[in-house]
Amino acid sequence: MTRMDTLVPTVSEAVAAIRARTLSPVELTQAVLARIERFEPALESYVEVYAEEALAQAREAEAAVGRGDRSGLLSGVPLALKDLYDVAGKPTLCGSAVRAGHLAAEDSAVTGLLRAAGAVLVGKTVTHEFAFGVVSAPTRNPWNTDTIPGGSSGGSAAAVAAGLCLAAMGSDTGGSIRIPAGLTGLVGLKPTFGRVSKRGVAPLSWSLDHTGPLTRTVRDAAMVFQTITGFDPADPDSVDEPVTNVLAGLDSGIDGLRVGVPANHFFDGLLPEVGDAVRAALDVLVSAGARLVEVTVPDVEISSEVITTIVGVEAALIHQAEMAARAHDYTEDTRTRLIAGAAIPGTAYVDALHRRRRVVAGFQSALAEVDILATPTLPVTAPPYGSDPAQVMPALSRLTAPLNAAGLPGLAVPCGFADGLPISMQLIGRPFDEATILRAGEAYQQRTDWHTKQPPLTE
Amino acid sequence: MPRTFQGDALEHALRTARVDLPAERVEIVRDTAEAVYAMLDQLDTLELGETPPATALNARWE
Repeated sequence: MTRMDTLVPTVSEAVAAIRARTLSPVELTQAVLARIERFEPALESYVEVYAEEALAQAREAEAAVGRGDRSGLLSGVPLALKDLYDVAGKPTLCGSAVRAGHLAAEDSAVTGLLRAAGAVLVGKTVTHEFAFGVVSAPTRNPWNTDTIPGGSSGGSAAAVAAGLCLAAMGSDTGGSIRIPAGLTGLVGLKPTFGRVSKRGVAPLSWSLDHTGPLTRTVRDAAMVFQTITGFDPADPDSVDEPVTNVLAGLDSGIDGLRVGVPANHFFDGLLPEVGDAVRAALDVLVSAGARLVEVTVPDVEISSEVITTIVGVEAALIHQAEMAARAHDYTEDTRTRLIAGAAIPGTAYVDALHRRRRVVAGFQSALAEVDILATPTLPVTAPPYGSDPAQVMPALSRLTAPLNAAGLPGLAVPCGFADGLPISMQLIGRPFDEATILRAGEAYQQRTDWHTKQPPLTE
Repeated sequence: MPRTFQGDALEHALRTARVDLPAERVEIVRDTAEAVYAMLDQLDTLELGETPPATALNARWE
């Protein structure tokens, strides 16, 4: 048994060192691949590792640095993609036997943007089947391999937390970026609905899916977000909104920032240690100059019912043809939920869209009084490995799903531990104002060291 | 009063959705379908007031 070595650098550290020519992208990629070989058997976070291609991309990045080319924001940084993202010439298996034999013809929009920024694509990570759950078997949580990493972006979370890549992409329909980020001590950013293209990412629910990064620091999340954000006319849900430079103001602090603390829903039924850790995190924000304001988020309690109805119908339609042709290739849980979703009447679906407006209005009301909201990301810490997906879903998504209903940006930030398992705070912003929640998260991480802790993984 | 799928009600509902459910799977799906319908009933607890209908999400708050 060997205790884990010092983690690989963060994205921002690696970019700075590569630009200063004190770190070789090839050596960094080799180090990441060596860690994968060493720790992956215990974690099972990857579906496929692109070792040769990654080293070739790293050599290209090294050559670019040698030429003095500083154009790539992520040049030479080893990243991973959840196995919902298309990579040209590679299978996108979506965690399902249904996709056996699939090969992507083109890169997803995000894959292309990451490549253009010089990132090294290390491989594809495990997803809960078609992102329809929060367990992500067989992946284990690096903080305690007897627990789950959450999901559906659980492979991405485990890989980043264990230093098997420097950052990874996830997707979020009811919390699938923020839940695994929260359970593994990472930062997870769900941007505003339509802010980052979903083109080439296998859908679960068209009107609720979001794409975004999981990273070790807020700065890293800002760097990846800056790379992938922007209007994509080929994505029907993409919004033509001006791109904000979230890196420019990241260090400008939060003096005078009004932070809303919801009096309803978000602090109900928490594990006591979670409540204590998040309240302590709020104190840190105050020490950084923020002002706490108690607010109410009207009608947010109906979010789970709204989400379940919308996802049920949209997922059933997305999978209608495959369910008719090869239902037996789905796992039991997914298959049952898809069938139940198909039985939801059209009137109930439109009714859920109607009531979704009330959730949006509730947040609009709360955020009229403050600049951001701060809540726990999860009411609990990581559940045991082997947990029944249907049993853990309601608790794990209760505090994250409201942001999918409202389409608002949300940032999970690690803020403590209970029995060796991470606790997370969620920062919520106004539409298209990722910059403010990232600035608040950065101010928090400049005053705390939770994000520097390393999982006690053994080989 | 919770809604239940007695007799062949579930198979009928699924036929309308063009889902062919083998007989041996009816009992497996019935519990999940009833749980989903219980959630649909929860939606009714929210008063809509004058909220205008929606067919899609506009993230811009316009």
